[in-house]
Amino acid sequence: MAVFLQSLISGILIGGVYALIGIGLTLIFGVMRVVNFAHGDIMMVGMYLTYLLFTLLGVDPFVSVLISFPLMFFFGGFLQKVFINRVLNAVAQNQILLTIGLGLIMSNTVMLIFTSDYKILTTSYSSSTIQVGGGVSISTPLLISFLITAAITAVLGWFLLKTDTGQAIRATAQDREAAQLMGINVSRMSVIAFGLGAALAGTAGALISPTYYIFPQVGGTFTLKAFVITVLGGMGSVVGATLGGILIGVTESMSAVYISSGWKDVVVFVLFLLVLLFKPSGLMGKSRT
Amino acid sequence: MTKTILKAVVGLILLAALLVVPRYVESPYALHMMILLFLSVSQGQSWNILGGYAGQYSVGHAAYFGVGAYTTMMLMHSKQVVPWVGVWVGVAIVIVVALVIGSICFRLRGPYFVLASIAVAEIMRLSAINLTTLTNGAEGILATEIPAFKIGERVITDFLTKVPFYYIGLFLALLTIGITYWVQHSKLGYYFQAIREDQDAAHSLGIHITIYKNIGLVISAVLTSLAGAFYGIYVGFVDPPTVLGLDVSVQIMLICIIGGMGTIWGPVLGSLLLVPLSEALRSNMITEGLVKVGLVSADSRVGLFLKENLAHAHVLLYGILVVLVILFMPEGLMGFLKKLAPRRNREAV
Amino acid sequence: MAILEIKSVSKFFGGLAANSDVSFSVEQGTIMGLIGPNGAGKTTLFNCITGYYPPSRGEVIFDGRRMNGLQPDKVCMLGMVRTWQKVRPLAKLSVIDNVMVGALAHTSSLKHARELAMEQLKVVRLEHREDFLAGGLPIGERKKLEVARALATKPKLLLLDEVMGGLNPAESEEIIQLILDIKAQGLTQMVIEHDMKAIMRISDRIVVLTSGEKLTEGTPQEVVSNQDVIDAYLGESHA
Ligand SMILES: Nc1ncnc2c1ncn2[C@@H]1O[C@H](COP(=O)(O)OP(=O)(O)OP(=O)(O)O)[C@@H](O)[C@H]1O
Ligand SMILES: [Mg+2]
Repeated sequence: MAVFLQSLISGILIGGVYALIGIGLTLIFGVMRVVNFAHGDIMMVGMYLTYLLFTLLGVDPFVSVLISFPLMFFFGGFLQKVFINRVLNAVAQNQILLTIGLGLIMSNTVMLIFTSDYKILTTSYSSSTIQVGGGVSISTPLLISFLITAAITAVLGWFLLKTDTGQAIRATAQDREAAQLMGINVSRMSVIAFGLGAALAGTAGALISPTYYIFPQVGGTFTLKAFVITVLGGMGSVVGATLGGILIGVTESMSAVYISSGWKDVVVFVLFLLVLLFKPSGLMGKSRT
Repeated sequence: MTKTILKAVVGLILLAALLVVPRYVESPYALHMMILLFLSVSQGQSWNILGGYAGQYSVGHAAYFGVGAYTTMMLMHSKQVVPWVGVWVGVAIVIVVALVIGSICFRLRGPYFVLASIAVAEIMRLSAINLTTLTNGAEGILATEIPAFKIGERVITDFLTKVPFYYIGLFLALLTIGITYWVQHSKLGYYFQAIREDQDAAHSLGIHITIYKNIGLVISAVLTSLAGAFYGIYVGFVDPPTVLGLDVSVQIMLICIIGGMGTIWGPVLGSLLLVPLSEALRSNMITEGLVKVGLVSADSRVGLFLKENLAHAHVLLYGILVVLVILFMPEGLMGFLKKLAPRRNREAV
Repeated sequence: MAILEIKSVSKFFGGLAANSDVSFSVEQGTIMGLIGPNGAGKTTLFNCITGYYPPSRGEVIFDGRRMNGLQPDKVCMLGMVRTWQKVRPLAKLSVIDNVMVGALAHTSSLKHARELAMEQLKVVRLEHREDFLAGGLPIGERKKLEVARALATKPKLLLLDEVMGGLNPAESEEIIQLILDIKAQGLTQMVIEHDMKAIMRISDRIVVLTSGEKLTEGTPQEVVSNQDVIDAYLGESHA
């Protein structure tokens, strides 16, 4: 029972960070209908940014979010304006290839600069835990990152629901043409959405850097996980992505405990294929006729 | 008519030249380059049939490449099965895998198909890492020697030089080009292209979409697995990232995308560009060249940096090429060349 | 003899009844016109007949055979083929190749398919565009290409969804002639069209749909003099 609770809790905690990655991806997809295959690599850039800030300036990874969020936002906006914008009306395959190419450029540029060595960001609390009784303990960095995630998600929700820009973004996601007719500057919304998506991914990178190896190729798995999450939650749904992230986190930590850690990603991908097969609109989505 | 004859003559001369190369070229490095070129043409052409003609952008072809390579290597390593028998076991397994993947992935369209194809390849890669008793896990399989190929008592080849590999590679490249040619000039090719252009329209014209997609996938997967088996035997080593990684899938597609999808010569052009470029990077020729020309000095900081790093930069190059091609010539080199030579069958005015 | 029988076909999208309880039949060798305001469910009915959607209720009987549940490719092989309101050329293929794809439904020989395709191109008078890319044709010619491609599958029943939509009067006139020529060959057709004059000229009988339901059915004369039609359909479009 303790083992079960333990893995449930750590699954939920890590799932929060996954949710952040998934929300970013789903936001980009919602507004632009572009599937961003560079998403994990953007997250990886966020990890290295955190690493640099930590090693050069001694900024705590969790504090560094304050710096990396805006930086990654501009990075994302730049990517959208310079690259993605040009393929908005191209076939989906070309959009996918373009983002795959961008991802390769990111990961290999980082590799040229930092080599492909695994980096570890050791903080004073990296391996500290909090005992909650019953033999269950919670990793401190995971708990902090979960709380930050929850705060960011709440702010994001407020932004999307209550601010004018947020509503414009949602309108664009709902119907691009109609939004344009209503006088919404859809290309600006696209830049903002991509910026936000990148900022969320970068933040997720910052949040997991105290507990995860940092290396140039780390993005690949996360891109895939981000997809699994968004597909589970229904492409384009922010609430769905949040739940999807937590579901994936729990699935992973459960299969690591009850099957083996080597197979945990396989379990996630198999789950993904099953969902694509039987409920392509996502677990939360309406089923198609 | 004269044009066809001309084409045939040029083709035959080229073929004859390729056949006699090993007689006159002794440099193992030159042969190595040619073998890599053949491998790349075979990979690209195999993907082309499914991706270029039928329009099903699989980003998971590493699955077939890897299964072909692994099966042959595993059988040779642990069961002493000679590779030219093992290959066919690989092919059989790949057909089964492809049909399973097809039945899952072909119900999906667009980005969902791409995602599913990646997921399947990743499942394969992770399985290769985890099924250590079969695959030796992350360490991979090293084949120290390949048994000689005998018919009866006669030794046809002992695989001690690169020459037999040259001919096998050449055969594979010609085979894939030939099959593509056949596809393009048959009902199959018309149906593939119809599906690529508009699935619903194709459906209304009597085309059984799933059957044709699966045919395309099986042809493509079998050829890819042959290329994989060839790679494994030639290099003598397979491990999960080099034959099952996402990079492998991307590289396979890239050959077509750069050369031009859905054309016979696209993958050939793509290989002619990509293979020398990435080899030049890998073997540091570019840095040496720059040093020779005097642009950078060998022991300046820049020179040292380039020397150390450019060797790893070929994947970076792939990335840059993909981006450039998609943005500036989405039809690949073939499309670009066609634009240079406009013909009447372009657009009605 | 009825070649096509629609028996109480309904199609629901969630709560919306795009077709509800529609019944009629089409006689061999005739042209059946299908009219109705935008959103009346005409295209949906074509989709139900040709296997793109399974009807939620009811039956489609073609040539004595129940078609429910058959896929579009099977429907085509049995002799029923449709064109698309929003044209769907195989853009990167040449005009002749487009038509050949249709012709290949009944032959595996490219040579034979090419001959068949050329015949159909002549029927729609597009032979001079043989080698042009389909995606580059102007709209009038793309509509003709749709028809040629469908004809190449050798149908017994041809379903045309607004082949005159977006055409100028001269082009529409050409299509009307084309439809009458096809009829003269003995082919049964079902034609969706908004242009009342055109549909009156070509149809033997007309079915009127409004909001998914069959409002009435009859000869062109009966339909135009029907008060319900004048109120519901003409009234609306002339308002
Ligand atoms: N796949 C679908 N999902 C949900 N609703 C649909 C779908 N297809 C059609 N509808 C709805 O069914 C109704 C009938 O549409 P349909 O396209 O059949 O009309 P139509 O008579 O062909 O109109 P038009 O003259 O504009 O072509 C419309 O309200 C449309 O919005
Ligand atoms: Mg319609």
